[in-house]
Amino acid sequence: MSLAALALLILGLGLIAWVAARAKAMSFGSTGQARQHSLPNYHGWYVALWAVLPALFFLTIWSSVSGGLVTQTVLESPAAASLPAMEMQRDAILDEARRLAEGRIDAAFNPEAEALAPIYAEATSFYSLIGSSIALLLAFAAGAFAFTRLSPTFRARTRVERLVMASLLIASLIAILTTLGIVLSLLFESLRFFSMVSPVEFLFGLNWSPQMAIRADQAGSSGAFGAIPLFWGTIFIGAIIAMIVAIPLGLMSAIYLTQYASGRVRAWMKPALEMLAGVPTVVYGYFAALTVAPAIRDFAVTIGIPGASSESALAAGLVMGIMIIPFVSSMADDSIAAVPQAMRDGSLAMGATTSETIRRVLVPAALPGVVGGVLLAVSRAIGETMIVVMAAGLAANLTANPFQSVTTVTTQIVQLLTGDQEFDSAKTLAAFALGLVLFIITLLLNIVALRVVKKYREAYD
Amino acid sequence: MTNTTHAEPRRTPTNWNDQAMQERIRGRYASERRFRLLGLFAVLLSAGFLAFLLVTMAANGARGFTQTEVRVEVDFAKSALFIDPAALEGFGADAALAGADIDGAVQTAVRAQYGESADGLLSDAAWLRVRDAILEDPALLNRSETFWLPARSGLDQAAKSDGSAADEQIYRQLDDQDSVRTGFNLGFLTGADATDPTVVGIWGAFKGSLFTMLVTLALAFPIGVLSAIYLEEYAPRNRWTDLIEVSINNLAAVPSIIFGLLGLAVFLNFMHLPRSAPLVGGITLALMTMPVIVIAGRNAIKSVPPSIRDAALGVGASRVQVVFHHVLPLALPGILTGTIIGMARALGETAPLLMIGMRAFIASPPGGFTEPATVLPVQIFLWSDEVSRGFVEKTSAAIIVLLAFLLAMNGLAIYLRNKFERRW
Repeated sequence: MSLAALALLILGLGLIAWVAARAKAMSFGSTGQARQHSLPNYHGWYVALWAVLPALFFLTIWSSVSGGLVTQTVLESPAAASLPAMEMQRDAILDEARRLAEGRIDAAFNPEAEALAPIYAEATSFYSLIGSSIALLLAFAAGAFAFTRLSPTFRARTRVERLVMASLLIASLIAILTTLGIVLSLLFESLRFFSMVSPVEFLFGLNWSPQMAIRADQAGSSGAFGAIPLFWGTIFIGAIIAMIVAIPLGLMSAIYLTQYASGRVRAWMKPALEMLAGVPTVVYGYFAALTVAPAIRDFAVTIGIPGASSESALAAGLVMGIMIIPFVSSMADDSIAAVPQAMRDGSLAMGATTSETIRRVLVPAALPGVVGGVLLAVSRAIGETMIVVMAAGLAANLTANPFQSVTTVTTQIVQLLTGDQEFDSAKTLAAFALGLVLFIITLLLNIVALRVVKKYREAYD
Repeated sequence: MTNTTHAEPRRTPTNWNDQAMQERIRGRYASERRFRLLGLFAVLLSAGFLAFLLVTMAANGARGFTQTEVRVEVDFAKSALFIDPAALEGFGADAALAGADIDGAVQTAVRAQYGESADGLLSDAAWLRVRDAILEDPALLNRSETFWLPARSGLDQAAKSDGSAADEQIYRQLDDQDSVRTGFNLGFLTGADATDPTVVGIWGAFKGSLFTMLVTLALAFPIGVLSAIYLEEYAPRNRWTDLIEVSINNLAAVPSIIFGLLGLAVFLNFMHLPRSAPLVGGITLALMTMPVIVIAGRNAIKSVPPSIRDAALGVGASRVQVVFHHVLPLALPGILTGTIIGMARALGETAPLLMIGMRAFIASPPGGFTEPATVLPVQIFLWSDEVSRGFVEKTSAAIIVLLAFLLAMNGLAIYLRNKFERRW
């Protein structure tokens, strides 16, 4: 019996248990005994949960164990004695036999697999029979046990609610587990990387060329892991060029929409700006690579800038800046709106024009919030992947010329981890070290930004 | 008081009509106008970027939905094609057709019709359509039939007046003979990835996206809602709760590619789940979407007034009943809005899926959650890397499809918010 069918059957049993237990609980009322503690529904849920949960729990464990048991049985059969001792060949034959037994292929390439297939089918059906009968038995036994406990005074609701609370707690622990998983996996792989490459060389080296030598005598591929050019590229694109675009445009848009624009203009333009944040980054990347980058290269060639590349830092930074505009503008919007009305009124009453009020009173008062927003935007920009993968280059240049090609941390992570992977080479592990650096920096930026914003809010509340 | 003011020299009242004053006021008003125009300029520039982006995509992409077809008359009875019609019944059909040289037969027919120079008229995959037709109706093999087959990419470009001069000339010749037409490309919506831009489709990637999103929704929605309920309604104020809150807020700000690294290290290398599968992609994206749902859910639950809870408690509901019978239904519209926005973000996400190998070339739509698949944004990324000219319009067309879905989802979220939002 297939796993899904079995699970459905158990759920069906649960439904029957629910109906039966509920009917039994209903009958308590008619016998004129003492007042029941719980509503009939809760009795139903109590029994149904007992019938379903242990059985499903068993099934999950069984499905992960049974594969190994089947293989074990097949290997112990006399027909398997002739299998090659090499593990890889043996596994390939076993895999073929399994697919043959499941009817997914018609004929096997290896004659051994042909012979093993019936044994495989037999073992599979044997173990699945054992698994299904234990699961069903468990469902029946647990359901019956719960059913016998029902009585008018039985506190079914308390027990069901205890389970609900437990599931709530477990659900909220998943966030911690995810964070832990990120930190541990990055740390673990990075430590392996740092056992091959010294952290000092990684953090302060000026030369990045992660190709490891395949042969000892190969020239020009010593594998240098100095990440400074990547850090510079990331900052150049994400924190400098993108911000030069995003800060003025985002700030001025927020000021115009909150202070000058009429209600109708705001109602249309604000969602339009927010749409910029909703466009997938791969679309921005395509736009940058297809439209912006060639235009910028042609422009650079016309004004005679040497070394203009079609994968220029400017193209990626410009498009990333456009993507960031709504982040800056919505943070600026919030913090300008949080400036007390009295301050604006005071300034206007003194005879200042609107723009003077904005420049001399509102923006200085909102500055911490704006700075916090910019920091969040920077953290967003340096973690952004697709735009730089598609529009920035792969050459690890240490240059301040925006028309040249630079590479970023995220680009290199993608580059290192696509293609053939071997999890013991420094090349692959370097991606995790880069990921760790990226994680720490974005985390710090976020903490600082939130602290700045929070401190500022307290000042006016 | 009065004495002291009188003792000082009296200030001359401001002369507003003074020349210098007038100039200063004019200057201040001019700067006010400049500032205002600057703001307007910033808004229009930002919106202009959006419009430019959309127009570029639409202009490139609209052509991706059409394709050029050439009329080819294949006389199966006379062709060198030999297929036993009996072999086409049942399971052996694919093998029987694979063995026959249908491509050659089509080429012969094209040459007979348009001359020896017409070798490169059709797309490399054009014969597949003939094969499918035969498979559908084996009786074709005994007669002659007229097919409209996809033209070569260059010719397709020429038909859209964007090809080379030579192709344009061929196209005009064909057009004069009425043996070429440009129509809606149904194959683009029903096909999967291919090496030839004239026959690619997005159905495969779309199906992959669908499977991935199903996994994401099935995991992120319950977990997100349950954690939101726990944190907002039950959690005691202690160090553990603070830890949970801090990690949720941080997860919401972690770059998406880090989730890809997590998926690669934990799900693929540690747990040995299948590579490139919607299952793994869905779990990875669920971890990314969950914090968004938790934050939206907490805000929605927070906005339900305490009086509701007090009233329910007052008539004897238990604390679990209060939340599940009263608070949750009232908070549901807000939670759903947040969920849809989070799902829209997950649908457009590319980077983490590249990490877990969903960038493979998948020529047939995935059949299940554990089969290799790709998703729409990754498909766009893969096509954007292709050098062939024909892929540009296909990439833009796929972007239009993706944007349409995102727009629909966001529109739905706004509609839900406006319809069900309650001010207490």
